[in-house]
Amino acid sequence: MESSDHTKIAILGAGRGGRALLDLLHQIPSIEIVGIADRDPAAPGLQRARELQVPVTTNMPDLISNHGVSLIMDVTGDPEMETYLHAHKPPTADILSGSASRLLWELVQHESRLEAELLQSEKLAGIGSFAAGIAHDMNNPLQLILGLAENLAEERDLTVVHEQARDIIEAAKQTSAICRDLTRYSRRASPHEDVLVSVNGKLDEALKIARYASKFHDIEMLKHYQPGVAVKGNPDELLHVLVNLITNAVHAMERVGGTLTLETRLLDGQAGVRISDTGCGIAPDKIPQIFEPFFTTKDPGKGTGLGLYNVKTIVNKMRGTIAVDSQIDKGTTFTLTFPNAEPAGQGRLS
Amino acid sequence: MDEFKSGFFVGGEACEGRVLVVDDEPDIRKVVKMTLQKAGYEVLEAENGEKAIEVINSGENRLLLDVVICDIRMPKINGAEAVAYFRSNYPRVPLIVLTGFPDADMATSFLRQGVVDYLVKPVEGEKLRSAVARAIEQRELARL
Repeated sequence: MESSDHTKIAILGAGRGGRALLDLLHQIPSIEIVGIADRDPAAPGLQRARELQVPVTTNMPDLISNHGVSLIMDVTGDPEMETYLHAHKPPTADILSGSASRLLWELVQHESRLEAELLQSEKLAGIGSFAAGIAHDMNNPLQLILGLAENLAEERDLTVVHEQARDIIEAAKQTSAICRDLTRYSRRASPHEDVLVSVNGKLDEALKIARYASKFHDIEMLKHYQPGVAVKGNPDELLHVLVNLITNAVHAMERVGGTLTLETRLLDGQAGVRISDTGCGIAPDKIPQIFEPFFTTKDPGKGTGLGLYNVKTIVNKMRGTIAVDSQIDKGTTFTLTFPNAEPAGQGRLS
Repeated sequence: MDEFKSGFFVGGEACEGRVLVVDDEPDIRKVVKMTLQKAGYEVLEAENGEKAIEVINSGENRLLLDVVICDIRMPKINGAEAVAYFRSNYPRVPLIVLTGFPDADMATSFLRQGVVDYLVKPVEGEKLRSAVARAIEQRELARL
């Protein structure tokens, strides 16, 4: 399983710096984290390491000497540690410590801020396309409210008055729900908020949002949800992924209509989500490019080219994978696979 | 529709005209119908462009329909397609667009196609009734 060109890294220090490094390095296939150590067994990075199934220890000397480590990353911030490491490290291991490791930590922080910015700007750019959907969904209940209120001003029959007042209340609630959904969606994803998320619930929430962005007329919906499919991650980011994929699917069927199929299931301890359309499909020569930043087949001004790029970034961050299967004029299926967070019924679902 | 006796009397009351409301939202049809019935119009409903075409082609509607009020964002045949159909097959029936999404380009294009009015939801009852009355008046003038 291990190949010889793997860089074997030991992380010393499991505070904020250690945790951030862990999150970053864990996503890189050519890196193997042989372990993370901290004197404090309650350090946040150790908890994270257990989730990622990275070996955890409080025995630093053992970690650096006995596991074929090629790079020791010291983020303890302890000047004595540096001296100790230079005296005791195996001859083949390099050390990154002191200001070099601080610089690396700052770069990691910077990169994660940029990533968050990119995500947010793509989301806000997309909201521009919601205008027609929002206007439609808000002005319809407003028309009902206005018409009924005009009638109530003259209505004598109390039964009708009561009935129409109730209709007005319902319509007003409907209008406020639209604002609530959209403000929730447009807010910045809260950083580092990994919780257990119900995938089925998020898919339904994403459907509501996607309806503003695209025309669902003439589209048949099929849902095959397996109950209890849950993943660990940031709920706002997962929502963003699903909105993106559903919107793309609907756009692919815009001209001719078709069927949108949403599917979730648990298989071999993995949580799977499948979003399929029967739309125009992606040309085979375009498929390798779709996850690249700024690649778009939409008309200028219609797409940012960052949608699927951000989708992939988030999926990777959640330690998931994304696969695409597409045929011209037949349709496209995106399959997401995540480590299933916990069996159904345990923990709180977001 | 059976109780419809002539172009001018419905159920014994004076009828100002026969209006078809095309909108996928039942609530909108309900409230537009209520608003127009108060002013003495007979109101027919259709939930999309396809149904609207069915309605206009059935019975005496092709002769007696006075105004069509049409939404734009609808399933099946959408508003823009329905407008095009009505304009080419029933050029004498005035069309009013009633949409939830104000769009200047779209408005211009509809008016250029001969749509008599472009109203944005929510529209006051008075404004809607006068738009319908104006549309019928214009048609009467055109007939002379």
